[in-house]
Amino acid sequence: MVTPQDKEKVIPFEFIPDKASETTNIDGKDYLLMNDAFYTFYQRSLGELSPFFLAIRDEKRILGCRCTVCGLVRVPPFVTHCPFCDFAPTEPVEVGQEGNMLSTPPITYFANSLFAARAPFGRGRVILEGADTALSTMLYTTTGILVPGIIKRGTEVKVIFRDERIGEITDIFCVPTAELTPQQIAEKGLQESELSWIAPAEPEFPEASAEDIAIYQRSLKEMQSLASEMSKSKRARKAIEGWKRDIAVKTRGGEFAMYIDDGDFRIEERKLESPDFVMACADPRTLLDGLSYKGAITDAVIMKRLWISKNMEFNTIFKLDRLARFLAREKKEQAAG
Amino acid sequence: MARKVGIVGAAVTPFKGKWYEKTYYELAQMATRDALKDAAISIKDVDAVAYGIYNDIFERTCIPEHPLQAIIGMQNKPGIRITNGGATGAYTMSAAHAYVAAERYDVVLVLGVEKATDCFDFTSMSATPEVIKVIGWSGDSFFEQKIGWTASDSYAEVVLAYMDEHPGDLKPEVTAQVSSQLSEQVKTNPYAQRQFDQVTPEEVMNSRYIVYPFKELEICVYTEGAAALILAEEETAKAMARNSGKPVVWIAGVGEANEVSFAGKNHNNWGRIMSHHVAAQRAYHMAGIKNPLEEIEVVEIHDAFIQQLEISMAEMGFVPLGRADALVEEGLMMPGGKLSVNPSGGLVYCGHAVGASNIMSAWSCRNEMIDKGYRRGLVHGTGSTICQYGVVLILEQA
Repeated sequence: MVTPQDKEKVIPFEFIPDKASETTNIDGKDYLLMNDAFYTFYQRSLGELSPFFLAIRDEKRILGCRCTVCGLVRVPPFVTHCPFCDFAPTEPVEVGQEGNMLSTPPITYFANSLFAARAPFGRGRVILEGADTALSTMLYTTTGILVPGIIKRGTEVKVIFRDERIGEITDIFCVPTAELTPQQIAEKGLQESELSWIAPAEPEFPEASAEDIAIYQRSLKEMQSLASEMSKSKRARKAIEGWKRDIAVKTRGGEFAMYIDDGDFRIEERKLESPDFVMACADPRTLLDGLSYKGAITDAVIMKRLWISKNMEFNTIFKLDRLARFLAREKKEQAAG
Repeated sequence: MARKVGIVGAAVTPFKGKWYEKTYYELAQMATRDALKDAAISIKDVDAVAYGIYNDIFERTCIPEHPLQAIIGMQNKPGIRITNGGATGAYTMSAAHAYVAAERYDVVLVLGVEKATDCFDFTSMSATPEVIKVIGWSGDSFFEQKIGWTASDSYAEVVLAYMDEHPGDLKPEVTAQVSSQLSEQVKTNPYAQRQFDQVTPEEVMNSRYIVYPFKELEICVYTEGAAALILAEEETAKAMARNSGKPVVWIAGVGEANEVSFAGKNHNNWGRIMSHHVAAQRAYHMAGIKNPLEEIEVVEIHDAFIQQLEISMAEMGFVPLGRADALVEEGLMMPGGKLSVNPSGGLVYCGHAVGASNIMSAWSCRNEMIDKGYRRGLVHGTGSTICQYGVVLILEQA
């Protein structure tokens, strides 16, 4: 039995700021900043679209509509009458649950707050069997982080149904059929819990060689000196303003800690007991390059050179990339005088 | 027969990442004051106003233009607000042009403003994710919003579909050079958000992915600011120009097109940006342009993303589809090339204050034409999901 306080809210509680204001001073004058929200609640009618969403929720079927004159099958069924045929009526029709990508889908790495927990994700258009128009859908891989190349134009994908469905478009998503067994492909209404999701495990590194340790020590020193420059740079500090994270960083040659604390950035050689999250990369120079603004740390995560224990922490990774960019920019400006 | 319409005054406020010191009321008034000053006229000489404000959620009110009527001194005069996604500014100019051309009013103020970064995400303690979220409310509300639709991922869909067709075009080295070149050009725009943010092609290549295939330094930045133009019919415009000492820049062509946002058979022409193609053809027809590359000298294009800038240049006929990289590889938009493209720095470097952006582009295009003596310029605006909307204006000097 779900009690009222356990129910999920339409606005997650953690997004709601306190009722408060603050003052910022610019050129000797005070200006107000007010915490605020612009909210509206709905009990929204799904009207003529109801059969499409009900079929997903209750029957795990995908419906389209077919024009009674030209025969065009639109999925989703976004019209009751075909505008190409002087508004001839359409009729509901069920379509298949496999299809092909109309084009190579984009992948969102930097998502807005509502989607941060789901990034990285692909969103693209699939023409399902029997359909003429494309269904816009979220795309995942069961093999870990979605990287470019896994899903392309023409890639065959299958609709997967969420276990918990409420009649929203988020009740379905697609994965490549190449990642499914023949039985799974044959099954209509395949659910997410029937897939084998590969949870990316923390990489284990072999015993460090003397060279690994030397590289680690050199890199650590360079990163520490960068961190101290960043903490002194007014612009770089802005990149991590209001942010606090203790990060354990594991590399082949040794382990260290990175502390982000509202503008301060510190690196110390110590093992953290309860970090906010863990980063692991065999070669510490991956991270050093990122902090030196020679290649993004984001890309290192995407390309699997750097592992992070929580996908949500892409947020922090973006801030570290920005930190590097802001310091590089300040140095460049100083060099230019 | 439609009347001739000319630009007799123009102004922009500084474009800033955040204006702590001004609300959109004051930004709108600043741009208005400066445009009137540029035209050397009084607000009393203005017959009507067309407001370009994109998103109610940014301004935190559903009729954001209503207080502006008093703030800019337009008591009992007509005012219309236009909102057409990213193309809001361009559509606002188009509407104002139509009013004057159709003899409804002689002098119309075009006023675009946006306060885009007041929205703030308290979970990441930064504005950008919330700005993206607000724009995310513009996606299809039944089928796309809840699966993570954003402006970036919808434009990325278009770019990737183009790249599926033309795998050899939009090479990362070339988009990096375009971005770097725009960052050089912005140096001379004192109103730009990133006037001093010069980047090398290598830095662009090394910047992080935001939404594949877009990198951070290939994307426009959200900005706050306002821009205004004064449009007048032919005789009034000539008289005002004699008084102000600034030549009239005529709006010789206007074209618009909105595609459909659903894809598949008989729907959106996937892999193309037909809205930009059709809008350009309409504007060229009206202005009598046969060969844009030979007849146009300056282009202020809506560069939401560098890759889209390249495709849009192809759709408007400056380079062949599939060979948009010629913009750089054949030097067309590079120093000494045939075309000046985004001398303002574009939306990537000057900034994207949505309702004001295309009006800023027109301000820059007109200034460049007057300063450099160019005969013809092109101003472009795009907006909505998958570049659905396209607007092209041709500016001309006698």
